[in-house]
Amino acid sequence: MPSKRLFDRIDSIQLRGVTKKYDDRFAINDVSIDIEGGELVIFIGPSGSGKTTTLRMINRLIEPDSGTILINDQDIMELEPVALRRNIGYVIQNIGLFPHMNIAENIGLVAKLESWDEKKIKDRVEYLLDFVSLPSEMFMDRYPHQLSGGQQQRVGLARALMMDPPLLLMDEPFGALDPILRKQLQEEFYQIREKLGKTIIFVTHDIEEAFKLGDRIAIMDDAKLVQIGTAEELIFHPANEMVASIVDTSKKFKHLDTLKIKDLISPLECMYVHDGSLDVESAISSMIEKNIEIAVVSNGSGPLGIVKLIDLLRMDDKESKIIDHVVEIPSFSRNELLSSSLKIMQKDGHSMAFVMTDGKLSGFLFPNDAFSQVIG
Amino acid sequence: MDKEHKGVDSLLLSDLVEVWETNSLTLRTIEHLTMFSIAIVLASIIGVSLGLFLFSRPRIAHPMLNLLNLVETIPDIPLLVLLLPIFGLGRDPTIVASVLYSLLPITRNTYTGLKEVDLKYVDIARAMGLSEKDILLKVRIPLSLPMIVGGLRIALVFTMGVVTLGGLIAAGGLGAALIAGIQLYKINTILVAGLWTGLLAVIFDGLAGIVEKRLQRRYGIW
Repeated sequence: MPSKRLFDRIDSIQLRGVTKKYDDRFAINDVSIDIEGGELVIFIGPSGSGKTTTLRMINRLIEPDSGTILINDQDIMELEPVALRRNIGYVIQNIGLFPHMNIAENIGLVAKLESWDEKKIKDRVEYLLDFVSLPSEMFMDRYPHQLSGGQQQRVGLARALMMDPPLLLMDEPFGALDPILRKQLQEEFYQIREKLGKTIIFVTHDIEEAFKLGDRIAIMDDAKLVQIGTAEELIFHPANEMVASIVDTSKKFKHLDTLKIKDLISPLECMYVHDGSLDVESAISSMIEKNIEIAVVSNGSGPLGIVKLIDLLRMDDKESKIIDHVVEIPSFSRNELLSSSLKIMQKDGHSMAFVMTDGKLSGFLFPNDAFSQVIG
Repeated sequence: MDKEHKGVDSLLLSDLVEVWETNSLTLRTIEHLTMFSIAIVLASIIGVSLGLFLFSRPRIAHPMLNLLNLVETIPDIPLLVLLLPIFGLGRDPTIVASVLYSLLPITRNTYTGLKEVDLKYVDIARAMGLSEKDILLKVRIPLSLPMIVGGLRIALVFTMGVVTLGGLIAAGGLGAALIAGIQLYKINTILVAGLWTGLLAVIFDGLAGIVEKRLQRRYGIW
């Protein structure tokens, strides 16, 4: 049965003295927060600090014992929960794609319950798959277990966007991915976020992710909201020791001049390396099987560059060799200064680089925006 | 050697045909499979509905499953005898006994399957805005199908056994031929009817096994 569209855009979300207790223990203790429309607010804190509980209250998966939550000045307790949730996208760490439905059915499920016609559902699903960089004709009919973790997470995002909700709740969406994949998806998410133009509330325990993606960061500890502010505010005016220690990694930024590449290296595993003579078809299946999104192309003596899975998937000529599609990226020695290498990468617009040890590939370097800011 | 071998073969074959015809095993097989199918269809309908019902009333689930367990512990011949005063002789008590035996595996597996669906799927379904009814129809039931078919598979084997015993109480079927063979001490009849019944049980179990595996693969549970 179709449900009402509750809001076309978010003007404000307000939590007023929200409290939730389980037995004698506070899950959330008197949390008040104002979120503006279009903002990306990140909740961060130790596990058990109440960040996920707070997130799950906004779509009424958990209901407060006291306090109110207002979306566009409307008390959400007065809204029908099913309708409310259909107006809010939800993405979680373990994705939860339904194993018995193919990708198109997974994404289109709620639209089908809303009695959209088949054609409209199909068009929207195709649009969204392309939006999250998965060629729709290849993926629509597959089942979740045939997809890599990164691909599943893209589908999870597409599913959350199906009803074009003005608000997205994301609970550690990149938490289960390996570091290299995580950085790539963060990068992509950062780029599509502008296109989305949505209000996003995001939970993470990774402070770098928070600095990189968040407009404002809310720090939670022991069921309470400790401080909310921009990265700069938290770094330079931490409310207490606890905030200071959470943003501690930021101290690295202040000493960036002394940091060397080896301090920030993402180590390479040999599964990433593929021989240049491999054809596109076999490279795709190898990468899907290994659950990686980037492969290092080597010619036996050393790395030539990288290929990305999404680019390979889009290639018409699946017979060609991957060596012909290599994207060159800079390489640095592990003892070089980070600041100078980052400047080079920023100048040429590279999002990753090889790190070499004694002339051999030993890892990757991913500069992120936090670093770039400090350098700039 | 070759000739003799052929002789044995044709002897066996002609024996088989003779035993088959004198005991009208074609008719017996049809009777057997009719009772079998009626029992399985009834047990599936009642068992799955009962499983769904228990899932919606978790409080009575335990006592109810214990009761079915109790039924399960009554040995099959006494159960048939107990049913005689109510249902008389023949097909009806046999079918009722089969259904009673099959209820436990089907009901229990349906109930457990629905209950044990990974909560992350239920949680995400609720978060996406599925109503409780949609969660049951679109998520819980499909995801518990492999488990339900697993219960059905156990029921198939039980039912095949009980239907055969029905021969004792004039229900017809392959059991009747088997009992005739035992009473007249005709080894060939016992062998043919026994092996054929066994073969049928293996075939049905195998088919159900294939369906179960397919479902497991389809639903991503390896």
